[in-house]
Amino acid sequence: MSNSFDPALDLKINRIIKAPRSAIWNAWTDPASLEQWWVPAPAKCKVVQLDVRPGGSFVTEISEGGGPFAAHLNACFLAADELERIVFTNALVGGWRPAEQPFMTAIITMRDHPAGTEYQAHAMHKNPADRNMHEELGFYDGWGMVTEQLALIAERRTQ
Amino acid sequence: MRLGNGPASIGELAEPFDMALPSFMRHIQFLQDSGWINTRKEGRVRICTLEKQQFAIVEDWLSEQRALWNARTDRLEQFVTSKQNKDNSR
Repeated sequence: MSNSFDPALDLKINRIIKAPRSAIWNAWTDPASLEQWWVPAPAKCKVVQLDVRPGGSFVTEISEGGGPFAAHLNACFLAADELERIVFTNALVGGWRPAEQPFMTAIITMRDHPAGTEYQAHAMHKNPADRNMHEELGFYDGWGMVTEQLALIAERRTQ
Repeated sequence: MRLGNGPASIGELAEPFDMALPSFMRHIQFLQDSGWINTRKEGRVRICTLEKQQFAIVEDWLSEQRALWNARTDRLEQFVTSKQNKDNSR
């Protein structure tokens, strides 16, 4: 199956990772491992469900600033081809039940590479016509980017 | 910049800037008046927080998702390669 790429709605991250596919597969599928890299420090991640098979639940929570754990991602695996591919979407929740706020499907692929693994994350999004849905994405790791805008505004103000 | 990581006191925010506190307070006041940040008193300290909604409106959502996936891939890479080194040296 080929996946089309829509530059207005999609993104692709390609990376050669100096580790075998099995290490990357484990980092994705072992809850204790996923918790260590899924959200940016100092936020903490809790993996609530990680049932890596088609229809399985993928639910994570995030705790920021030492606060209580809150919703982060509630998604459903669509494909899980061992050591090769993981596909999940938050358009569905576990058991293929339709989700309230569909936003993205992600396809993670791993291929052997002389230096380790050729890794790709392809995320396809729904057009977020309502910008306020940001709060509802359920897929939001804090917001490093916004700080640049704050700096810009502060600078403009200083001039 | 600091507020992206969570709430902070005015003292903390002012520290990196070569600016008198009253001038800094005017910037804070401006940001608050225009809805970019919120402030509240905690004892004798004034705490500032970013107003998320406001930022969400001006953000380019796709570049934000890209930044998110890039950072996530960085962390994955870091996690698997450092784990690998540990396993090898065992």
